Amino acid sequence: MKSCQKYKKDWVAYLSRQLEPAKSQQMEEHLKHCSICQQELEQIKELFSLSGDFKTELQKEMEAIDWEKLSVVITDTVWKRQEDRKKSWPAWSYRWKWQPVAAGLILGLLLGAFFTYRVVKPQKSSFFVIRSESKLSVPPDFVEKVDLALARRETIDYLDRSQYLLLEILQTRKPDEASAFLTKDKIQKLLNEKKYLNDQLDQVRLLKAKAICDQIELLFLELTQLSPELSEAELQKIRELIEERQLLLKINLVKKELQQSEV
Amino acid sequence: MDLRNGYADKNREEFLVEKIKQGDKEAFMRIVSSYQQKVFILAYSMVREREDALDLVQETFMRIYEKINTYRPGANFSAWLMQIARNISIDFLRRQKSRKKDSLDSIDTERIDLQSKENDPSRFNPGDMIQKAVARLPEKQKLVFILHHYEELKYEEIAKRLSISLGTVKSLHFKAIQKLRKALAPQLGGSR
Repeated sequence: MKSCQKYKKDWVAYLSRQLEPAKSQQMEEHLKHCSICQQELEQIKELFSLSGDFKTELQKEMEAIDWEKLSVVITDTVWKRQEDRKKSWPAWSYRWKWQPVAAGLILGLLLGAFFTYRVVKPQKSSFFVIRSESKLSVPPDFVEKVDLALARRETIDYLDRSQYLLLEILQTRKPDEASAFLTKDKIQKLLNEKKYLNDQLDQVRLLKAKAICDQIELLFLELTQLSPELSEAELQKIRELIEERQLLLKINLVKKELQQSEV
Repeated sequence: MDLRNGYADKNREEFLVEKIKQGDKEAFMRIVSSYQQKVFILAYSMVREREDALDLVQETFMRIYEKINTYRPGANFSAWLMQIARNISIDFLRRQKSRKKDSLDSIDTERIDLQSKENDPSRFNPGDMIQKAVARLPEKQKLVFILHHYEELKYEEIAKRLSISLGTVKSLHFKAIQKLRKALAPQLGGSR
Protein backbone atom coordinates (compact mmCIF):
# COMPACT_ATOMS: atom_id res chain seq x y z
CA MET A 1 0.00 0.00 0.00
CA LYS A 2 1.22 3.46 -0.88
CA SER A 3 1.68 5.95 1.89
CA CYS A 4 1.60 9.72 2.02
CA GLN A 5 4.32 11.07 4.24
CA LYS A 6 3.15 14.69 4.24
CA TYR A 7 0.93 14.55 7.32
CA LYS A 8 1.45 10.91 8.32
CA LYS A 9 2.66 11.75 11.80
CA ASP A 10 0.00 14.39 12.39
CA TRP A 11 -3.25 12.51 11.82
CA VAL A 12 -3.34 11.11 15.33
CA ALA A 13 -2.98 14.58 16.81
CA TYR A 14 -5.49 15.88 14.28
CA LEU A 15 -8.14 13.39 15.34
CA SER A 16 -7.35 14.11 18.96
CA ARG A 17 -7.97 17.84 18.24
CA GLN A 18 -4.56 18.78 19.56
CA LEU A 19 -3.33 20.82 16.60
CA GLU A 20 -3.44 24.53 15.88
CA PRO A 21 -6.59 25.49 13.91
CA ALA A 22 -4.46 26.68 10.97
CA LYS A 23 -2.64 23.37 10.69
CA SER A 24 -5.89 21.41 11.03
CA GLN A 25 -7.35 23.49 8.19
CA GLN A 26 -4.34 22.76 5.95
CA MET A 27 -4.69 19.04 6.66
CA GLU A 28 -8.42 19.10 5.90
CA GLU A 29 -7.62 20.70 2.53
CA HIS A 30 -5.03 17.99 1.87
CA LEU A 31 -7.49 15.28 2.90
CA LYS A 32 -9.93 16.32 0.23
CA HIS A 33 -7.48 15.25 -2.49
CA CYS A 34 -5.47 12.43 -0.83
CA SER A 35 -7.16 9.03 -0.77
CA ILE A 36 -4.20 7.48 1.07
CA CYS A 37 -4.58 9.91 3.96
CA GLN A 38 -8.34 9.39 3.94
CA GLN A 39 -7.77 5.66 4.40
CA GLU A 40 -5.20 6.30 7.10
CA LEU A 41 -7.59 8.56 8.94
CA GLU A 42 -10.40 6.00 8.73
CA GLN A 43 -8.27 3.33 10.36
CA ILE A 44 -7.21 5.64 13.16
CA LYS A 45 -10.85 6.60 13.69
CA GLU A 46 -11.74 2.92 13.95
CA LEU A 47 -9.07 2.42 16.55
CA PHE A 48 -10.26 5.44 18.49
CA SER A 49 -13.71 4.00 18.34
CA LEU A 50 -12.46 0.72 19.83
CA SER A 51 -10.75 2.61 22.60
CA GLY A 52 -14.01 4.45 23.05
CA ASP A 53 -15.59 1.08 23.82
CA PHE A 54 -13.12 0.57 26.60
CA LYS A 55 -13.73 4.11 27.75
CA THR A 56 -17.43 3.34 27.99
CA GLU A 57 -16.61 0.31 30.09
CA LEU A 58 -14.31 2.39 32.24
CA GLN A 59 -16.92 5.09 32.72
CA LYS A 60 -19.44 2.44 33.72
CA GLU A 61 -17.04 1.08 36.31
CA MET A 62 -16.29 4.54 37.63
CA GLU A 63 -19.93 5.48 37.91
CA ALA A 64 -20.44 2.46 40.14
CA ILE A 65 -17.97 3.77 42.66
CA ASP A 66 -18.88 6.18 45.45
CA TRP A 67 -15.80 8.38 45.20
CA GLU A 68 -16.63 10.56 48.17
CA LYS A 69 -16.95 7.53 50.40
CA LEU A 70 -13.87 5.93 48.86
CA SER A 71 -11.63 8.87 49.75
CA VAL A 72 -12.79 8.63 53.37
CA VAL A 73 -12.26 4.85 53.42
CA ILE A 74 -8.80 5.15 51.87
CA THR A 75 -7.75 7.88 54.29
CA ASP A 76 -9.06 5.98 57.32
CA THR A 77 -7.40 2.76 56.19
CA VAL A 78 -4.06 4.47 55.57
CA TRP A 79 -4.23 6.17 58.97
CA LYS A 80 -5.26 3.02 60.78
CA ARG A 81 -2.57 0.96 59.09
CA GLN A 82 0.07 3.51 60.01
CA GLU A 83 -1.06 3.51 63.62
CA ASP A 84 -1.11 -0.30 63.71
CA ARG A 85 2.35 -0.35 62.21
CA LYS A 86 3.60 2.05 64.87
CA LYS A 87 2.08 -0.16 67.56
CA SER A 88 3.34 -3.40 66.06
CA TRP A 89 6.83 -1.96 65.68
CA PRO A 90 7.89 -1.80 69.29
CA ALA A 91 10.58 0.41 70.67
CA TRP A 92 13.25 -2.19 69.92
CA SER A 93 12.66 -1.84 66.19
CA TYR A 94 13.41 1.87 66.39
CA ARG A 95 16.41 1.07 68.49
CA TRP A 96 17.50 -1.41 65.86
CA LYS A 97 16.99 1.23 63.20
CA TRP A 98 19.19 3.68 65.09
CA GLN A 99 21.63 1.11 66.40
CA PRO A 100 24.29 1.72 63.76
CA VAL A 101 24.12 5.45 64.50
CA ALA A 102 24.29 4.84 68.25
CA ALA A 103 27.19 2.41 67.81
CA GLY A 104 29.02 4.99 65.72
CA LEU A 105 28.43 7.67 68.33
CA ILE A 106 29.61 5.48 71.19
CA LEU A 107 32.69 4.43 69.25
CA GLY A 108 33.41 8.07 68.42
CA LEU A 109 33.05 9.07 72.07
CA LEU A 110 35.32 6.27 73.23
CA LEU A 111 37.98 7.15 70.67
CA GLY A 112 37.63 10.84 71.53
CA ALA A 113 38.00 10.10 75.24
CA PHE A 114 41.01 7.88 74.61
CA PHE A 115 42.86 10.45 72.51
CA THR A 116 41.94 13.27 74.89
CA TYR A 117 43.34 11.20 77.75
CA ARG A 118 46.51 10.53 75.77
CA VAL A 119 46.97 14.22 74.99
CA VAL A 120 46.18 15.70 78.41
CA LYS A 121 47.36 12.77 80.51
CA PRO A 122 48.26 14.19 83.98
CA GLN A 123 52.00 14.11 84.67
CA LYS A 124 52.97 12.18 87.78
CA SER A 125 54.52 14.64 90.22
CA SER A 126 57.55 13.52 92.18
CA PHE A 127 56.50 15.88 94.99
CA PHE A 128 52.84 15.05 95.34
CA VAL A 129 52.69 11.31 95.27
CA ILE A 130 49.72 11.19 97.59
CA ARG A 131 47.73 13.67 95.49
CA SER A 132 48.57 12.11 92.18
CA GLU A 133 47.46 8.79 93.59
CA SER A 134 44.18 10.36 94.56
CA LYS A 135 43.61 11.03 90.81
CA LEU A 136 42.45 14.60 91.36
CA SER A 137 42.65 16.36 88.02
CA VAL A 138 43.88 19.76 89.17
CA PRO A 139 46.81 21.80 87.88
CA PRO A 140 50.10 20.76 89.52
CA ASP A 141 50.98 24.30 90.71
CA PHE A 142 47.60 24.53 92.42
CA VAL A 143 48.37 21.42 94.44
CA GLU A 144 51.78 22.81 95.26
CA LYS A 145 50.27 26.04 96.56
CA VAL A 146 47.77 24.17 98.69
CA ASP A 147 50.57 22.03 100.18
CA LEU A 148 52.63 25.08 100.97
CA ALA A 149 49.71 26.84 102.66
CA LEU A 150 48.92 23.73 104.71
CA ALA A 151 52.58 23.32 105.74
CA ARG A 152 52.74 26.97 106.80
CA ARG A 153 49.56 26.69 108.83
CA GLU A 154 50.68 23.51 110.59
CA THR A 155 54.17 24.92 111.24
CA ILE A 156 52.68 28.06 112.79
CA ASP A 157 50.44 25.89 115.00
CA TYR A 158 53.40 23.79 116.03
CA LEU A 159 55.49 26.85 116.76
CA ASP A 160 52.61 28.38 118.80
CA ARG A 161 52.24 25.34 120.98
CA SER A 162 56.01 25.04 121.43
CA GLN A 163 56.25 28.74 122.26
CA TYR A 164 53.61 28.44 125.02
CA LEU A 165 55.48 25.58 126.51
CA LEU A 166 58.81 27.40 126.38
CA LEU A 167 57.26 30.54 127.90
CA GLU A 168 55.83 28.51 130.73
CA ILE A 169 59.26 27.01 131.36
CA LEU A 170 60.82 30.46 131.45
CA GLN A 171 58.15 31.87 133.76
CA THR A 172 58.20 28.98 136.20
CA ARG A 173 60.24 29.63 139.32
CA LYS A 174 59.78 26.34 141.13
CA PRO A 175 60.92 22.96 139.76
CA ASP A 176 57.78 21.13 140.99
CA GLU A 177 55.50 23.53 139.02
CA ALA A 178 57.60 22.91 135.93
CA SER A 179 57.32 19.14 136.45
CA ALA A 180 53.48 19.50 136.49
CA PHE A 181 53.19 20.82 132.94
CA LEU A 182 56.34 19.27 131.45
CA THR A 183 54.71 15.87 131.26
CA LYS A 184 56.14 13.25 129.00
CA ASP A 185 52.85 12.99 127.09
CA LYS A 186 52.81 16.65 126.23
CA ILE A 187 56.41 16.61 125.01
CA GLN A 188 55.92 13.36 123.15
CA LYS A 189 52.88 14.79 121.39
CA LEU A 190 54.90 17.75 120.16
CA LEU A 191 57.69 15.42 119.03
CA ASN A 192 55.17 13.35 117.04
CA GLU A 193 53.79 16.48 115.40
CA LYS A 194 57.33 17.43 114.43
CA LYS A 195 57.85 14.04 112.81
CA TYR A 196 54.78 14.63 110.69
CA LEU A 197 55.92 18.17 109.90
CA ASN A 198 59.34 16.98 108.74
CA ASP A 199 57.99 15.60 105.43
CA GLN A 200 56.02 18.69 104.73
CA LEU A 201 58.85 21.06 105.55
CA ASP A 202 61.16 19.09 103.28
CA GLN A 203 58.70 19.14 100.42
CA VAL A 204 57.86 22.83 100.48
CA ARG A 205 61.39 23.87 101.37
CA LEU A 206 60.58 26.08 104.35
CA LEU A 207 64.21 26.03 105.42
CA LYS A 208 64.15 28.64 108.16
CA ALA A 209 61.08 27.14 109.74
CA LYS A 210 62.65 23.71 109.54
CA ALA A 211 65.79 24.95 111.29
CA ILE A 212 63.94 26.42 114.26
CA CYS A 213 61.64 23.42 114.44
CA ASP A 214 64.69 21.18 114.54
CA GLN A 215 66.15 23.18 117.45
CA ILE A 216 62.87 22.94 119.34
CA GLU A 217 62.77 19.22 118.67
CA LEU A 218 66.31 18.87 120.00
CA LEU A 219 65.35 20.67 123.17
CA PHE A 220 62.28 18.49 123.64
CA LEU A 221 64.38 15.39 123.10
CA GLU A 222 66.71 16.57 125.85
CA LEU A 223 63.69 17.16 128.10
CA THR A 224 62.55 13.60 127.61
CA GLN A 225 65.93 12.43 128.88
CA LEU A 226 65.38 14.22 132.17
CA SER A 227 63.66 12.59 135.12
CA PRO A 228 60.02 13.59 135.82
CA GLU A 229 61.05 15.28 139.05
CA LEU A 230 63.07 18.28 137.85
CA SER A 231 65.74 19.74 140.08
CA GLU A 232 66.40 23.47 140.37
CA ALA A 233 69.61 23.06 138.44
CA GLU A 234 67.92 21.17 135.61
CA LEU A 235 65.24 23.81 135.28
CA GLN A 236 67.86 26.51 135.21
CA LYS A 237 69.77 24.66 132.56
CA ILE A 238 66.67 24.42 130.38
CA ARG A 239 66.02 28.14 130.78
CA GLU A 240 69.59 28.90 129.75
CA LEU A 241 69.29 26.70 126.71
CA ILE A 242 66.15 28.48 125.61
CA GLU A 243 67.68 31.90 126.09
CA GLU A 244 71.03 30.92 124.69
CA ARG A 245 69.52 29.61 121.54
CA GLN A 246 67.15 32.60 121.36
CA LEU A 247 64.41 30.18 120.65
CA LEU A 248 61.53 32.49 121.49
CA LEU A 249 62.90 35.27 119.33
CA LYS A 250 63.52 32.93 116.43
CA ILE A 251 60.03 31.44 116.80
CA ASN A 252 58.51 34.93 116.68
CA LEU A 253 60.49 35.87 113.59
CA VAL A 254 59.69 32.68 111.72
CA LYS A 255 56.02 32.86 112.71
CA LYS A 256 55.84 36.45 111.46
CA GLU A 257 57.49 35.50 108.21
CA LEU A 258 55.15 32.57 107.70
CA GLN A 259 52.08 34.67 108.49
CA GLN A 260 53.17 37.35 106.04
CA SER A 261 53.73 34.74 103.34
CA GLU A 262 50.20 33.46 103.94
CA VAL A 263 48.74 36.84 103.00
CA MET B 1 -4.02 25.60 29.97
CA ASP B 2 -4.77 28.23 32.53
CA LEU B 3 -1.38 29.02 33.98
CA ARG B 4 -2.83 30.83 36.97
CA ASN B 5 -4.82 27.74 37.87
CA GLY B 6 -1.68 25.70 37.32
CA TYR B 7 0.21 27.78 39.84
CA ALA B 8 -2.76 27.74 42.24
CA ASP B 9 -2.93 23.93 42.00
CA LYS B 10 0.81 23.68 42.57
CA ASN B 11 0.67 25.94 45.62
CA ARG B 12 -2.32 24.06 46.95
CA GLU B 13 -0.55 20.74 46.51
CA GLU B 14 2.64 22.05 48.11
CA PHE B 15 0.58 23.31 51.04
CA LEU B 16 -1.27 20.01 51.39
CA VAL B 17 1.95 18.01 51.18
CA GLU B 18 3.47 20.12 53.97
CA LYS B 19 0.37 19.51 56.05
CA ILE B 20 0.52 15.77 55.42
CA LYS B 21 4.14 15.76 56.52
CA GLN B 22 2.93 17.28 59.78
CA GLY B 23 0.38 14.45 60.10
CA ASP B 24 -2.73 16.31 58.90
CA LYS B 25 -5.38 13.72 58.00
CA GLU B 26 -7.70 16.26 56.35
CA ALA B 27 -4.95 17.35 53.96
CA PHE B 28 -4.29 13.73 53.05
CA MET B 29 -7.97 13.18 52.33
CA ARG B 30 -7.96 16.17 49.98
CA ILE B 31 -5.07 14.71 48.02
CA VAL B 32 -6.90 11.37 47.86
CA SER B 33 -10.06 13.11 46.59
CA SER B 34 -8.10 14.95 43.90
CA TYR B 35 -6.21 11.95 42.59
CA GLN B 36 -8.19 8.78 43.32
CA GLN B 37 -10.02 8.78 39.98
CA LYS B 38 -6.85 9.39 37.99
CA VAL B 39 -5.11 6.56 39.81
CA PHE B 40 -8.13 4.31 39.30
CA ILE B 41 -8.16 4.97 35.54
CA LEU B 42 -4.50 4.11 35.31
CA ALA B 43 -4.85 0.99 37.45
CA TYR B 44 -8.01 -0.23 35.77
CA SER B 45 -6.51 0.30 32.33
CA MET B 46 -3.73 -2.01 33.31
CA VAL B 47 -5.47 -4.69 35.37
CA ARG B 48 -9.05 -4.65 34.00
CA GLU B 49 -10.58 -5.72 37.31
CA ARG B 50 -12.44 -3.21 39.41
CA GLU B 51 -11.59 -4.78 42.74
CA ASP B 52 -7.95 -5.16 41.84
CA ALA B 53 -7.86 -1.57 40.58
CA LEU B 54 -9.43 -0.35 43.83
CA ASP B 55 -6.84 -2.29 45.83
CA LEU B 56 -4.14 -0.65 43.75
CA VAL B 57 -5.63 2.79 44.43
CA GLN B 58 -5.53 2.00 48.14
CA GLU B 59 -1.96 0.72 47.94
CA THR B 60 -0.89 3.76 45.94
CA PHE B 61 -2.10 6.18 48.58
CA MET B 62 -0.57 4.06 51.31
CA ARG B 63 2.76 4.32 49.50
CA ILE B 64 2.26 8.05 48.94
CA TYR B 65 1.80 8.55 52.67
CA GLU B 66 4.86 6.46 53.51
CA LYS B 67 7.02 8.27 50.98
CA ILE B 68 5.69 11.78 51.45
CA ASN B 69 8.93 12.86 53.10
CA THR B 70 10.87 11.90 49.98
CA TYR B 71 8.84 14.31 47.84
CA ARG B 72 10.98 17.36 47.11
CA PRO B 73 9.06 20.65 47.31
CA GLY B 74 8.91 22.29 43.90
CA ALA B 75 8.89 18.98 42.00
CA ASN B 76 5.90 17.92 39.93
CA PHE B 77 3.66 16.34 42.55
CA SER B 78 1.23 14.95 40.03
CA ALA B 79 4.02 13.26 38.05
CA TRP B 80 5.53 11.93 41.28
CA LEU B 81 2.21 10.48 42.45
CA MET B 82 1.33 8.94 39.07
CA GLN B 83 4.78 7.41 38.80
CA ILE B 84 4.21 5.65 42.12
CA ALA B 85 0.74 4.53 40.95
CA ARG B 86 2.20 3.16 37.73
CA ASN B 87 4.99 1.30 39.55
CA ILE B 88 2.48 -0.29 41.90
CA SER B 89 0.32 -1.44 38.99
CA ILE B 90 3.33 -2.86 37.17
CA ASP B 91 4.41 -4.72 40.32
CA PHE B 92 0.90 -6.12 40.63
CA LEU B 93 0.95 -7.37 37.04
CA ARG B 94 4.38 -8.93 37.56
CA ARG B 95 3.21 -10.73 40.70
CA GLN B 96 0.12 -11.92 38.86
CA LYS B 97 2.20 -13.17 35.95
CA SER B 98 4.59 -14.90 38.32
CA ARG B 99 1.73 -16.62 40.15
CA LYS B 100 0.30 -17.81 36.85
CA LYS B 101 3.67 -19.13 35.75
CA ASP B 102 3.93 -21.04 38.99
CA SER B 103 0.85 -22.98 38.18
CA LEU B 104 0.84 -24.98 34.98
CA ASP B 105 -2.85 -25.61 35.39
CA SER B 106 -3.63 -21.94 35.41
CA ILE B 107 -1.61 -21.40 32.22
CA ASP B 108 -3.56 -24.08 30.45
CA THR B 109 -6.82 -22.71 31.70
CA GLU B 110 -5.90 -19.23 30.52
CA ARG B 111 -4.86 -20.52 27.12
CA ILE B 112 -8.11 -22.41 26.68
CA ASP B 113 -10.04 -19.39 27.85
CA LEU B 114 -8.29 -17.04 25.41
CA GLN B 115 -8.66 -19.44 22.52
CA SER B 116 -12.33 -19.91 23.18
CA LYS B 117 -12.88 -16.15 23.33
CA GLU B 118 -11.02 -15.53 20.13
CA ASN B 119 -12.77 -18.31 18.24
CA ASP B 120 -16.26 -17.61 19.46
CA PRO B 121 -17.68 -14.46 17.76
CA SER B 122 -20.48 -14.26 20.28
CA ARG B 123 -17.86 -13.68 22.98
CA PHE B 124 -15.91 -11.08 20.99
CA ASN B 125 -15.34 -8.04 23.13
CA PRO B 126 -13.67 -5.02 21.46
CA GLY B 127 -12.94 -3.51 24.83
CA ASP B 128 -10.95 -6.60 25.86
CA MET B 129 -9.15 -6.68 22.57
CA ILE B 130 -7.94 -3.10 22.57
CA GLN B 131 -7.13 -3.25 26.23
CA LYS B 132 -4.91 -6.29 25.81
CA ALA B 133 -3.13 -4.53 22.99
CA VAL B 134 -2.76 -1.38 25.10
CA ALA B 135 -1.35 -3.46 27.97
CA ARG B 136 1.43 -4.63 25.67
CA LEU B 137 2.51 -1.11 24.71
CA PRO B 138 5.79 0.28 26.02
CA GLU B 139 5.26 2.05 29.35
CA LYS B 140 5.35 5.69 28.25
CA GLN B 141 3.26 5.08 25.15
CA LYS B 142 0.75 3.21 27.26
CA LEU B 143 0.60 6.02 29.78
CA VAL B 144 0.10 8.71 27.14
CA PHE B 145 -2.63 6.61 25.51
CA ILE B 146 -4.44 6.06 28.81
CA LEU B 147 -4.15 9.69 29.88
CA HIS B 148 -5.44 10.98 26.56
CA HIS B 149 -8.14 8.46 25.74
CA TYR B 150 -9.44 7.49 29.17
CA GLU B 151 -8.64 10.46 31.30
CA GLU B 152 -9.30 12.85 28.43
CA LEU B 153 -6.24 14.98 29.11
CA LYS B 154 -4.95 17.34 26.44
CA TYR B 155 -1.39 16.93 25.20
CA GLU B 156 -0.35 19.98 27.19
CA GLU B 157 -1.77 18.53 30.40
CA ILE B 158 -0.11 15.17 29.77
CA ALA B 159 3.21 16.92 29.17
CA LYS B 160 2.84 18.73 32.48
CA ARG B 161 1.81 15.65 34.38
CA LEU B 162 4.60 13.49 33.02
CA SER B 163 7.17 16.30 33.00
CA ILE B 164 7.93 15.77 29.32
CA SER B 165 7.75 18.08 26.29
CA LEU B 166 4.68 18.60 24.14
CA GLY B 167 6.52 17.19 21.13
CA THR B 168 7.35 14.01 23.07
CA VAL B 169 3.71 13.54 24.00
CA LYS B 170 2.66 13.90 20.37
CA SER B 171 5.33 11.46 19.27
CA LEU B 172 4.51 8.89 21.97
CA HIS B 173 0.82 9.07 21.09
CA PHE B 174 1.54 8.57 17.41
CA LYS B 175 3.80 5.58 18.12
CA ALA B 176 1.21 4.05 20.43
CA ILE B 177 -1.48 4.32 17.78
CA GLN B 178 0.82 2.83 15.13
CA LYS B 179 1.58 -0.15 17.37
CA LEU B 180 -2.07 -0.68 18.18
CA ARG B 181 -3.00 -0.55 14.52
CA LYS B 182 -0.39 -3.18 13.80
CA ALA B 183 -1.52 -5.39 16.69
CA LEU B 184 -5.19 -5.05 15.80
CA ALA B 185 -4.80 -5.13 12.02
CA PRO B 186 -7.02 -8.24 11.54
CA GLN B 187 -9.84 -6.72 13.60
CA LEU B 188 -9.48 -3.31 11.94
CA GLY B 189 -9.52 -4.90 8.47
CA GLY B 190 -6.51 -2.96 7.32
CA SER B 191 -3.24 -4.18 5.96
CA ARG B 192 -0.95 -2.81 8.73
